[in-house]
Amino acid sequence: MRRFGALLAALLLAGTLAACGGQEAREMQTTQIFAMDTVMALRAAGGETEAALQAAEEEIYRLDEELSRTREDSAVSRLNSAPAGTAADVGTELYDLIARALDFSAATDGAFDITLAPVSSAWGFTEDAYRVPAQTELDALLAHVGAEHVHLEGEGSVSLDAGTRIDLGAIAKGYASDRMAEIFQSHGVTHGIVDLGGNTWVCGGNLEGEPWQIGIQDPARESGALAGILQATDAFAVTSGGYQRYFEEDGVTYHHIIDPATGRPAESGLTSVTVVADGTVGNGTMCDALSTALFVMGEERALDLWRSGVYDFDLVLVTADGRLLVTDGIADRFQPDETAGYAYEVVS
Amino acid sequence: MKLSTKQLTLCAVLTAMALALSYLENFFPLSLAIPIPGIKLGLANIVTLSALYALGPGQALLILAARCLLGAVFAGNLNALIFSLLGGVTAMLVMIGLSRVRALSVYGVSVGGAAAHSCGQVAAAVLTLGNTAPLYYLPVLLGVSLFTGALTGLITACLLRALGHTKLWEV
Amino acid sequence: MRMKSSPKLRPNIWDGLLAAVMLALAVAGGVLLWTGGGETGDLIAVVSVDGAETERVSLAGLTAPEERTYTHNGYTLHVTFTAESAQVTASDCPTQDCVHTGAITRGGQSIVCLPARLVIQLEGGAADDGSPDLVIG
Repeated sequence: MRRFGALLAALLLAGTLAACGGQEAREMQTTQIFAMDTVMALRAAGGETEAALQAAEEEIYRLDEELSRTREDSAVSRLNSAPAGTAADVGTELYDLIARALDFSAATDGAFDITLAPVSSAWGFTEDAYRVPAQTELDALLAHVGAEHVHLEGEGSVSLDAGTRIDLGAIAKGYASDRMAEIFQSHGVTHGIVDLGGNTWVCGGNLEGEPWQIGIQDPARESGALAGILQATDAFAVTSGGYQRYFEEDGVTYHHIIDPATGRPAESGLTSVTVVADGTVGNGTMCDALSTALFVMGEERALDLWRSGVYDFDLVLVTADGRLLVTDGIADRFQPDETAGYAYEVVS
Repeated sequence: MKLSTKQLTLCAVLTAMALALSYLENFFPLSLAIPIPGIKLGLANIVTLSALYALGPGQALLILAARCLLGAVFAGNLNALIFSLLGGVTAMLVMIGLSRVRALSVYGVSVGGAAAHSCGQVAAAVLTLGNTAPLYYLPVLLGVSLFTGALTGLITACLLRALGHTKLWEV
Repeated sequence: MRMKSSPKLRPNIWDGLLAAVMLALAVAGGVLLWTGGGETGDLIAVVSVDGAETERVSLAGLTAPEERTYTHNGYTLHVTFTAESAQVTASDCPTQDCVHTGAITRGGQSIVCLPARLVIQLEGGAADDGSPDLVIG
């Protein structure tokens, strides 16, 4: 018996040591941040969790200052306030981001556009002071809208045509999610969720080793009711939908996703677009840009772009006529919510 | 309790067998059919039950403790230890009690043990989570343990019938 | 003596009785837990301002709807709590997103008011296996 006891004691000791060496993550640490005009939630476990969350929060605030159009001292504001036609030095980070944005504009035939700012301001979406502008007012503003009014001058310098203003709101949170992914990875975070107000990056699955369950909001129902659930262990996912921000006037609902072709809220027959891509850094920016663009483009053009293979991504689309479309790359990881009542189709 | 070399060896062999059975169980993932965390066949209980009858409660408990510890160490997951220990010990105590009831056969004792194991695991889950949600699984787990308990009871009965007349158990 | 004890190796009526009792217990437990009486995990509304938790309201304890007001960042929100839900009934914030959100009723759901920097999140409630880790959109 004594020998057996000694054996047990030795095993216990070995077990304790093994447990310490393994650094098994037990709990997710959480941070909530108000920035970039949204509420953000970061959850992480494993690696240097605290340092990662700290660095992530600081990075969010830095990007908020750099990329905001409403802060006078931001790099974006410096560009917007530079005299028309003169090259302004915006730094390599903003330069590269604008260059990517122009690529997305080209690939989406202008459905994605960072020069829409004056138009969405006219609707009051930037200033939280909603109004319906006259078509003549919109037409005058649309003359300055378009990627062709933004000129990359090289070496971190950009110039804008007269009357053109840029707003990176449709891409900044995606870029921030890329930066979050980089920070989490460099700190060895093994389980993480970065939720920047609808711009999501997940890694590693939950602490039980199961994939993260990403619920996709049903655009037609109350907050928290789902169109479906996507399982992911290493992915970016971004949803755009007119239901996210809107106002009503004289019984008409106006939402915040503006079609650059008309200057009015996009009416493409889609009520929600979710773009999903693997967790490679850079895909966050892509998902953000494409979710807005594809919402504007509508079902057919969205699926055409998906099939073209120009970008590697998958889609969850909800249509105004009650269909839920999922592209076949994620169909095996997607579970439609039956209570939503959509006709479910897998697209290939 | 003083163990002879033969007893100690027997305990070690049985512990190894129990561990092997725990591993073997992974190839029959019951959780695929019934998606509830912690659901399993409980094959290692064959060893515990046999040891209880053949070697008595003391050594059976030793084998159980060693199995749970080693299992957790092999899995590299000490979190699982509290689950397997609480489940295992609860099952053990119930089986010791039931085995004293002369009217019950191996089957009854095994089924009772399986049920107790479920209760113990749910208790462990409630304790570690600090949340009563796992209680919802208990009725299903109990229902399932009727079948898994009967199965391990059947195997144990066959085993005891085959080995009961050998000199293996003689001290 | 060979074994410490010689067990019965064939199932008998008493084993059947034990199994029947267990089955009855499982069914009874199931009925108790899954219908009406399953008040495990009470619904709690967690109110946080600027990312810091400021208040926890136990909804299960409410017998009548209760209205509370929260003022932060220059905006005032009127929130109605009932035993099953939380809802921003009125707010003087410009976006009205929080009012648009409507009533939330399940653990994990939340109402966010950005201008007021206020979040109301529900915790607990009936165990919901299908609830996701996060909701986007």
